[in-house]
Amino acid sequence: MMNSKFFEGHHLSQIRDRLIAMDESKWGMLQTLQFKDPTTILIVSILAGSLGIDRFLIGDTGLGVGKLLTCGGLGIWAIIDWFLIMDATREKNLEKLQLVLY
Amino acid sequence: MSRNKLYILLAVACLVGYSWLFFNYRSGTETNPDGSGVCIFKEVTHIPCPSCGSTRSAISLLHGNMTDALYWNPIGFLLGIILVVVPLWLLFDVVFQKDSFFRFYKKSEATLEQKKVAVPLIILVLANWIWNIFKAL
Repeated sequence: MMNSKFFEGHHLSQIRDRLIAMDESKWGMLQTLQFKDPTTILIVSILAGSLGIDRFLIGDTGLGVGKLLTCGGLGIWAIIDWFLIMDATREKNLEKLQLVLY
Repeated sequence: MSRNKLYILLAVACLVGYSWLFFNYRSGTETNPDGSGVCIFKEVTHIPCPSCGSTRSAISLLHGNMTDALYWNPIGFLLGIILVVVPLWLLFDVVFQKDSFFRFYKKSEATLEQKKVAVPLIILVLANWIWNIFKAL
């Protein structure tokens, strides 16, 4: 699992089973998927979190707008997101993978 | 994100928003040019962020000074509308057990991700930001 950093630990075994059971014809689609690196997003979150850029990048547009308009939720949400954003990124990656797998 | 999670998040956000406004209304932030000093971006870089001044704008709105509100930050109008509409809409959905707001949220997210919508909005926010920097909020 060289892509393991993109997903949460407790999802890995489930993903592995799915991949093994997966139809061969979906392989091409799977190869084209682009996952977001949690570490990169964390760096963005620390630098530009109060503008909501991190949320925009992982595809949470609504929350991104909310963060942008409220100056990172009065600065508090921006700080909370430093700790949440990596898991949020992994969740989003899983959602993306599920679109292909199911 | 599920419906309930979004609703709880928004309800908390509105509550915090109202208490923040109340707190600033009482301490008279409108007359204080330095603002409230919670903006990390401004504290670090000494440059106002795109939404700096929206508290002062909302307080001006509460006083009925439209031109002042527009001068401080047009985003204040948007936040004012959101603060009025969202709690009512959420209440409606919760009382009648519907998910009309959730569907609206998902739909507007999809709309915002379209290039022809996103690019003008980004330009608008950037223009507002440049204006903010010139005003030295």
